[in-house]
Amino acid sequence: MITLAVGCVAFGRLYQVVRLLTGGDMFNGFQLGVFGVIGSLLFLFSANFGAMDSLADDRSREFIKYRLISLAAPVAALVLYIIFVWFTDLPRSVKIASALVTVFVMQASYFHLKHLIFPDVDLGIIKCLRWYNLLALIYTFLCMAEMVVIGLGNETGILIVGVLIGSVMIGVIISAERGIKKWTI
Amino acid sequence: MDNLVYIIFICHVTPLALMTLMLRKRSRLLVGYMLIGIFVSLFVSELNTILLSQCGGDMLYVSTTVTPVTEEIVKALPVLFYAVVFSNDRDRVMPIAFATGVGFAMFENMVVLVQNVENVTIGWAIIRGFATALMHAVCTVAVGYGICFVKKKKKLFYCGTFALLTMAMIYHGIFNMLVQSDYKYLGFFLPALTYIPILIWHFKYYKTKKSRL
Repeated sequence: MITLAVGCVAFGRLYQVVRLLTGGDMFNGFQLGVFGVIGSLLFLFSANFGAMDSLADDRSREFIKYRLISLAAPVAALVLYIIFVWFTDLPRSVKIASALVTVFVMQASYFHLKHLIFPDVDLGIIKCLRWYNLLALIYTFLCMAEMVVIGLGNETGILIVGVLIGSVMIGVIISAERGIKKWTI
Repeated sequence: MDNLVYIIFICHVTPLALMTLMLRKRSRLLVGYMLIGIFVSLFVSELNTILLSQCGGDMLYVSTTVTPVTEEIVKALPVLFYAVVFSNDRDRVMPIAFATGVGFAMFENMVVLVQNVENVTIGWAIIRGFATALMHAVCTVAVGYGICFVKKKKKLFYCGTFALLTMAMIYHGIFNMLVQSDYKYLGFFLPALTYIPILIWHFKYYKTKKSRL
C-alpha cells in the first residue's frame, strides 16, 4: 500500500513532467497529476484505516480523547484550504481540484495523527510505525502547502515544496519498512 | 449514408455475438467481455464527442485530461459488475479485464480509422495495434487487480480500486500526451514496456500456483 502510494506520487509527477516537456501548462486549470496526489493519499489512508487502525483501536470509550485530538489535523487542512485557496482568485477548476485533494488530505491526516499520538496498547505496531506516521502526516500537509504556493503563484515555493515532497516520500518508504521489520522481529 | 461507426459496430458485434452462443464457459465469458468492451468503446466515443464540444473543441486538452478519466471509469464498470455479481477470483477477473480492454481498443481503432481514413498507413496500424491496444488492456488489468478485493477486503477494495483507477488515468494521460508530442516514439514503446513485466509476473504467478498444486 505504502509503496503504491509512493508510486502514485511518482506517476503524478511524471505526468506533470511530461506535460511540461510537451509544452503544456501545469498550473492553469485542472490536470491529471492531481490524481497522483489523490491516489497516494488514498493508499496511505487505506494502509492506516484498513490495516493498522483495527490493530490499535478497539473502539472503546477509553481512547475517545485521542480520537478527538486527531480531528485537529483535518480541521487544520480545511482551514488552510478556506483561507489560502477558496478566498483567492484562482480558476474555479483549480479550486474544485484543490477541494478534492483537501478531502483526501483530511481523511488521511486524521489517521496519521491518530496513530502518532495513540497509546500502544498491546500489539506494538503503533510504536514501531510512529516515524512513518509522522512523515506521512508531514506529506499530507506538504500537499496542502503545495496548493497554497500554487495559489500564491510562488515558483520558488513550488520548487521547494516539490523537493520536500520527494524527500519525505523516500523517508516514508524507509520508515515504514524499518517499522514493519521491527514489529515482526 | 448512415453513421459509419455504427455500421462497423454492427458488422463486428453481430458475428461475435452469434459465436458466443456456440461457446462454453470461459471462452464464452472472454468473448462476451470483449463484446462488452466494444460496446463500451462505442458509448465512450459518443460521450467524448459531447465532451469535446463542451471543451470548445480543444482536442489536446480533452485527450490528455478528460478522455483518460471517462474511458478508464467506463471500462472498469463491467469488470466491477462481474466481480460483485459473479466471482471476485483473480484468475477469472484478470482475463475478463484484459478482454474488456482489448475489445475497447479494437473498436476505438476502428473509430479512429473511420475518422482519419485518408491518412492511415500500415505503420499507423502497427502502432495502434501494439501501443494503444496494449495501453487500454494494461490499464483495465491494473484496475481489475484492485477490483478482485471487492469481497475479500472491503476496506482495501474501496480505496485500492479508486487509487488504481487514478493510476490508470494518469498512465493513459501520459500515453496520450506522449503520442501527440515530439516524443511520440517513447509513447509507442510505453505500453510494451509496461506489458512485458506484467506478462512475466503472470507466468511466474501461474508457475508458482501450478507447483503448489
